[in-house]
Amino acid sequence: MTIKTNTERITFHDAIATMEVDFANMTFADAAQVDTMYDEIESRLTETGRRWFFLVIYTDCVIAPEAWDRFAERGKNANINHGLGSVRVGATAQTRDAIRQSAGQESFRSNIYDSRDQALLALGEMRKRKRDMQAATEEAFLRVENVSLSFGGVKAITGVSFDIKRGEISSIIGPNGAGKSSMLNVINGVYHPQEGAITFLGNVRRQMNPRAAATQGIARTFQNIALFKGMSVLDNIMTGRNLKMKANLLQQAFWLGPAQREELEHRVKVEEIIDFLEIQHIRKTPVGRLPYGLQKRVDLARALAMEPQLLLLDEPMAGMNVEEKQDMCRFILDVNDQFGTTVLLIEHDMGVVMDLSDFVVVLDHGEKIAEGTADEVRSDPVVISAYLGASH
Amino acid sequence: MFYRENGQFKTTYKSDQQVFAIPQDRWAILAIIAFAFLGIPLLVDEYIFRAILIPFLILSLAALGVNILVGYCGQITLGAGAFMAVGAYAAYNFLIRVSGMPALGAILLGGLTAAAVGIVFGIPSLRVRGLYLAVATLAAQFFCDWAFLRVKWFTNDSSSGSVSVADISLMGWTINSATDKYLFCLGILVVFSLMAKNLVRSAIGRQWMAIRDMDVAATVIGIRPMYAKLSAFAVSSFYVGVAGGLWGFVHLGSWEPAAFSIDRSFQLLFMVIIGGMGSIAGSFFGAAFIVILPIFLNQMLPLIGGLFGLEVSIALVAHVEIMVFGALIIFFLIVEPHGIARLWSTGREKLRLWPFPH
Amino acid sequence: MSFFLETLLGGLMSGMLYSLVALGFVLIYKASGVFNFAQGAMVLFAALSMARFSEWIPEWLGMDNLLMANLLAIVVSVVVMFAVAWLIERLVLRHLVNQEGATLLMATLGIGYFLDGLGQTVFGSDIYKIDVGMPKEPVMMLESVFEGGILINKEDFVAALISAMLVLALTIFFQKTSTGRALRAVADDHQAAQSIGIPLGRIWVIVWCVAGITALVAGIIWGSKLGVQFSLQTVALRALPVVILGGLTSVPGAIIGGLIIGVGEKLSEVFLGPYVGGGIEIWFAYMLALMFLLFRPQGLFGEKIIYRD
Ligand SMILES: Nc1ncnc2c1ncn2[C@@H]1O[C@H](COP(=O)(O)OP(=O)(O)OP(=O)(O)O)[C@@H](O)[C@H]1O
Ligand SMILES: [Mg+2]
Repeated sequence: MTIKTNTERITFHDAIATMEVDFANMTFADAAQVDTMYDEIESRLTETGRRWFFLVIYTDCVIAPEAWDRFAERGKNANINHGLGSVRVGATAQTRDAIRQSAGQESFRSNIYDSRDQALLALGEMRKRKRDMQAATEEAFLRVENVSLSFGGVKAITGVSFDIKRGEISSIIGPNGAGKSSMLNVINGVYHPQEGAITFLGNVRRQMNPRAAATQGIARTFQNIALFKGMSVLDNIMTGRNLKMKANLLQQAFWLGPAQREELEHRVKVEEIIDFLEIQHIRKTPVGRLPYGLQKRVDLARALAMEPQLLLLDEPMAGMNVEEKQDMCRFILDVNDQFGTTVLLIEHDMGVVMDLSDFVVVLDHGEKIAEGTADEVRSDPVVISAYLGASH
Repeated sequence: MFYRENGQFKTTYKSDQQVFAIPQDRWAILAIIAFAFLGIPLLVDEYIFRAILIPFLILSLAALGVNILVGYCGQITLGAGAFMAVGAYAAYNFLIRVSGMPALGAILLGGLTAAAVGIVFGIPSLRVRGLYLAVATLAAQFFCDWAFLRVKWFTNDSSSGSVSVADISLMGWTINSATDKYLFCLGILVVFSLMAKNLVRSAIGRQWMAIRDMDVAATVIGIRPMYAKLSAFAVSSFYVGVAGGLWGFVHLGSWEPAAFSIDRSFQLLFMVIIGGMGSIAGSFFGAAFIVILPIFLNQMLPLIGGLFGLEVSIALVAHVEIMVFGALIIFFLIVEPHGIARLWSTGREKLRLWPFPH
Repeated sequence: MSFFLETLLGGLMSGMLYSLVALGFVLIYKASGVFNFAQGAMVLFAALSMARFSEWIPEWLGMDNLLMANLLAIVVSVVVMFAVAWLIERLVLRHLVNQEGATLLMATLGIGYFLDGLGQTVFGSDIYKIDVGMPKEPVMMLESVFEGGILINKEDFVAALISAMLVLALTIFFQKTSTGRALRAVADDHQAAQSIGIPLGRIWVIVWCVAGITALVAGIIWGSKLGVQFSLQTVALRALPVVILGGLTSVPGAIIGGLIIGVGEKLSEVFLGPYVGGGIEIWFAYMLALMFLLFRPQGLFGEKIIYRD
């Protein structure tokens, strides 16, 4: 029987927002052992920067009476700081009693099941309840509050607020220099606004670095394609998996098991995206040699490789011909449909905006001048005059 | 006709991810390595070993290191010689101060020391690039030049920083003949090249290249510039440091700080530019070119001069040599920034399609 | 006290030469965004040209008027440096427009190597002397102020004077002439300058010519003081920290930076050197530059642009 390391005992299932912890066959003899395990768990959780459901496997796990108090305390803390709810599998009679007992004390449900499948089923129920509850209280998926940004004397954004709902496709429109790209840069942490706050998935923040935004599940493409010119299409998309790759330098240098396995796993994922965006034939081509339209598609592929919750697209269709635009529209709709990804895009082509968007925000000179459905916005006199003013 | 890859389809991603995805390439490389280990020792005389092959192997290793930093991660360095010096002197100190330290162990520890120093001098890269970074690496160069000349502790109190290492051995194998030295260096180079290849084709390599090509986009997908850059400095300096250790222990035997002067740093940079930035093979091409060119000019110039009845002095050959280097640097930067490696692969592609050019 | 002052003055003198070389760096950088690593090679090349032509011309013309020979040699050297500038623009820079800073930097390294080789092939590689009739005898000064006074070379004074005049001339050239103004326009914005019809290529040739002249002046001063030899070429590396300190885009920065580094080197060598084994001149300057890079990358006087190639 192989003994798992603490690290291997923790698995994140992104798709169901669940962290699985496998305590099977473990023995916690004292508080120190509990701490080592929980320190690992906490640090991994903190790294993700979001909340998770917990699926805990207790099969043949022994918790000594001396360790129990610490175990209960650490478990509770993990739940308070990072948890959305827990289900447990296969606790021994003794552990079960202890859990039930502390459940009674702390007034939480013990949720203990006999098999992993049962637990997963219950977890599904729990996720649904949670989602419904969230929808009911209408906590915004992304909330931009009173954001102002200036560069020296130039005011790029002034007091802009709006909400984006989970699962929708929203657009930001506005004349050139309105501050649209700057807004995206604020949302994913490239620019730091002087005022205001961004709330994403319940985490409020004023400033953050782009990496933190990426860890929380925000991906983006760029107005002026920002691909890695010296690398092939495949490698460009593989960089999108960067945050999910954990092998260390030595493992990579010697191409050891974990590094090799990881490379293969992610390659499979990347190939799915390549198929999805229909760019199989250029897989090995250096991106610098591709025509503009395809480069835009690779840019999207790299963002998708991050499996984002929120996808920011800065003029994904600029400079494309009608056919390419249609393809791109189809891809955006498919991403939204199939993966449930929330999309926020900037676009100048009003036709495209009409077709795609559930919700539109209009900026002009750094201020929000209108928001609403595409139709509402289009007939708004303020918007019309802003556009007419800009074209003169 | 034998060089064909058409019709070979990769059936799995795994086979696609091998170091050399095309079987012909794989066999060719294996054949070259086998020949280098088995054939060359039978064919070559002492002079060729000492004047060409051993320097070539060691400088290839150093160029590999410089290429990781300059070619893959896009960070310029004019101080590679300093990291060779750190590698060499650190290895020397490990050897004489730690009793029972094997030579190979000392050389590797020397490399690790160089990596640590590399990280320190790489810190400015987090704030500046281009020329400014070049200045930081020059600072490393001049500081090390001075330290190994003046700080007696590093050189075990020898005068003017000159130290020497007696014949070294590896698990009972005494490395003293030219052939032994050649094989020792070759073994290390093969392992290190494979490691470099692995690094640049895995996540860390992609991080380096991403930082090189477009750093804003890299941070947006979650790459930490600090980790990417400093790891490149560390790995690069490790390679260069090990090369320094070999240069001192194996090639020179006894050396002074001048062996790792700023000229060495420029030489290594030139190898990478001429050989091909961002290419493992390019490092070998560059090293070979720079080792062979002076020897070639030494032989050829007097002959050419003789045709015109001119006396060609040694000094003149030296001057022509640096002129040629200068001109070649400019030529490659303008005409083929990917160096000989690119010329080689273009040539090979032509061969691959031959006899149907389109 | 007098020892301290002598050291200080010695530092100022070598600092002035650094300033001259740094000035060459700044001029070219401002106008073309190129950091010219070949400036040291240009100094060597100019000095070699000066030394050899002042030797050859009297032979060829069979005269022995030192002043005349020197004047002719200067004229010929200026022409040579102009030719070098023109060739550099034609053969190298023109083909590397819009390349990254690092690429241009490496290209100038190549130019430097080429010039080093060419100079020594054409002019020879021994130690030559330049004799432009600089007064050599030392003079005693400030004897009335304190005991012993201080000992100074007249030569250094003359050199300082010449450098000051060069800086003045350059300032006038940049501020008052139309070419000078065009140069500054290019420095501010390449594309804009091009769009209003300033021919970039010609501007670059002019800047490199001016840099060539500063190289010649530096070469003559340094060469007449220490003799013309290969090591002159390392002056570029010694003057590099100067521009980091002063700011790559600032002419006053180059001058003041040069003086600071010159004095700092001498003082640190004399007062700090003995404790650490001496020879710390070069890395001291670089460490100073490194500190600036980390805490004030734009230098003392440079424009506040942090991320620049
Ligand atoms: N990094 C920056 N430094 C200085 N000013 C900036 C910067 N980024 C944006 N700006 C300024 O902020 C304002 C808004 O620019 P932004 O790029 O957000 O406009 P936009 O709506 O995306 O326009 P476009 O439709 O042309 O893409 C402009 O005046 C621009 O000059
Ligand atoms: Mg924009």
